[in-house]
Amino acid sequence: MLVLAGVGLFLVLGRGGGGGIPILGGGRSDEVPAFDFVVRKARAVPTAEGADAKSLTEDADAVAKELTPILDDLFTTAFLDPGAWGDGDYAAVWERFTADARPSAEQSVETLTLGASAGDVYESVTPKRGVLSYEVLFDADGAPASVVATFSFSALGARTDGTYTAIVSSGQLFLGNPGDWRITAFEVRRDDRTARPPASPTPSPTT
Amino acid sequence: MPMPPTTAPRRRATLLVVALVAWVLGTALGTTTEGATARATPFLQLEQARAGYVPALDGSTPIFILVLGSDARPGEEIAGQRADSIHVVAINPAKHRATIVGFPRDSWVEIPGYGTNKINAAMPAGGPELVVKTVESLLGVRMDYWALTWFDGFRAMIDDIGGLTVDVPFDVHDSYSRADLSAGLQTLDGRDALAFARARHALPTGDFGRSENQGLLLVSALAQFRKEFAKDPSRLLDWVGAGLRNMRTDVPLDQVLRLAFTASTLNPKKVTNVVLPGGTGMAGGTSVVNLDRTALQAIAADLADDGLLSKANIPPSPNASLLGG
Repeated sequence: MLVLAGVGLFLVLGRGGGGGIPILGGGRSDEVPAFDFVVRKARAVPTAEGADAKSLTEDADAVAKELTPILDDLFTTAFLDPGAWGDGDYAAVWERFTADARPSAEQSVETLTLGASAGDVYESVTPKRGVLSYEVLFDADGAPASVVATFSFSALGARTDGTYTAIVSSGQLFLGNPGDWRITAFEVRRDDRTARPPASPTPSPTT
Repeated sequence: MPMPPTTAPRRRATLLVVALVAWVLGTALGTTTEGATARATPFLQLEQARAGYVPALDGSTPIFILVLGSDARPGEEIAGQRADSIHVVAINPAKHRATIVGFPRDSWVEIPGYGTNKINAAMPAGGPELVVKTVESLLGVRMDYWALTWFDGFRAMIDDIGGLTVDVPFDVHDSYSRADLSAGLQTLDGRDALAFARARHALPTGDFGRSENQGLLLVSALAQFRKEFAKDPSRLLDWVGAGLRNMRTDVPLDQVLRLAFTASTLNPKKVTNVVLPGGTGMAGGTSVVNLDRTALQAIAADLADDGLLSKANIPPSPNASLLGG
């Protein structure tokens, strides 16, 4: 009896709890997991003759505050939103690239996103960790002109076959066009690995 | 004498460290479960991929940039002094190659609107724009941009990027410029890089050899930039910042960035570094350089279409005797 109760509890908690990762499969949730990058630093790079980087530190922080929600949304769409990866529809991601960069980005769909056919592979994806640091280039008048966002991102994907994948992405995004920031250049690496199931509430051993 | 450690314990220690690192990484990614370590489930690399894009210029039309070094000392008006370092940098984005053509500072040339004079007199007469016009009339090639640095600017630029690695081709000991460098690969700070760029008394061909060494510094900077960019693309902004803080230029900032991305695609081994040949002479009691007009015309005609020089038009190195060539 205890065993049955334990198994029942395991199934309920396994499917509904544990960070929304279904342990035994059973349909994809449309819920979009919350994700926010942690910002490590924002460094100013001045270009005006004799300019001091320290005097622009606050401005660099302000740029970081402006950009971080944009990158939160970008990575959420690229990796976490079942509404996007379920259908392989990353239009909102590509819109963040300049017209010049967009064709290369779209050709790199398997590296820059969860993948075109992620809906066939994954049941759910849970964010694990996201860290950002910024270098902000200021023009001669002290206005932001270009930014490099160095990121590392990881998530845990529950696959439809019951296995798990650590989704690991890192690299640099160059952003320009301040005010309507767009990715002008990028260098991104993917290092996905098999992963063990996440720690989740498990039934107490019956003795 | 102590015995060297055997390899077996070392290998065991290495394996232990690898296992520990793997475990820590696995934990950091949240991929371990209680008691899972005993199962020794392997971590398999599922996907290892790279994606990249840089907005480099890619057309076959060459880009010509006039790079100037002012003789201005601290406190002097930078564009009001002689341009003692004059180089045309021609970039062929499609072929990922470039050419650097140095102009001896004493070249006796026609300065538009100012008669005949040494080429370095153009800047005090009309700023970088007049040097551009002078070079354009000499080469018959339109300069797209100019960039001007000066002693303190150059020194600060090199220091701001953390020094410049240069394979100094021969010993350079010059008390005038305070260059005291032995041949070989070394990282120069701003002071030493400036001394190397200024040294001419120690060179058999004087300003000709110095001009080639200045071109060598440009090639070395390209090589170092490419290496640093490949390792950490964010270094591009540091280089752009260091450059712009310490030079004046008519290149708009967005184009500077585009040129920097383009530089990341250039092969430094495919950069031809030459100095216009000529001979010394006198003009009105002044020692001048009479450019070899035949060579000048051949080089100008060759550069114009693609920014590159064919082997037949590459003049001998002015430092050939020091290079053993």
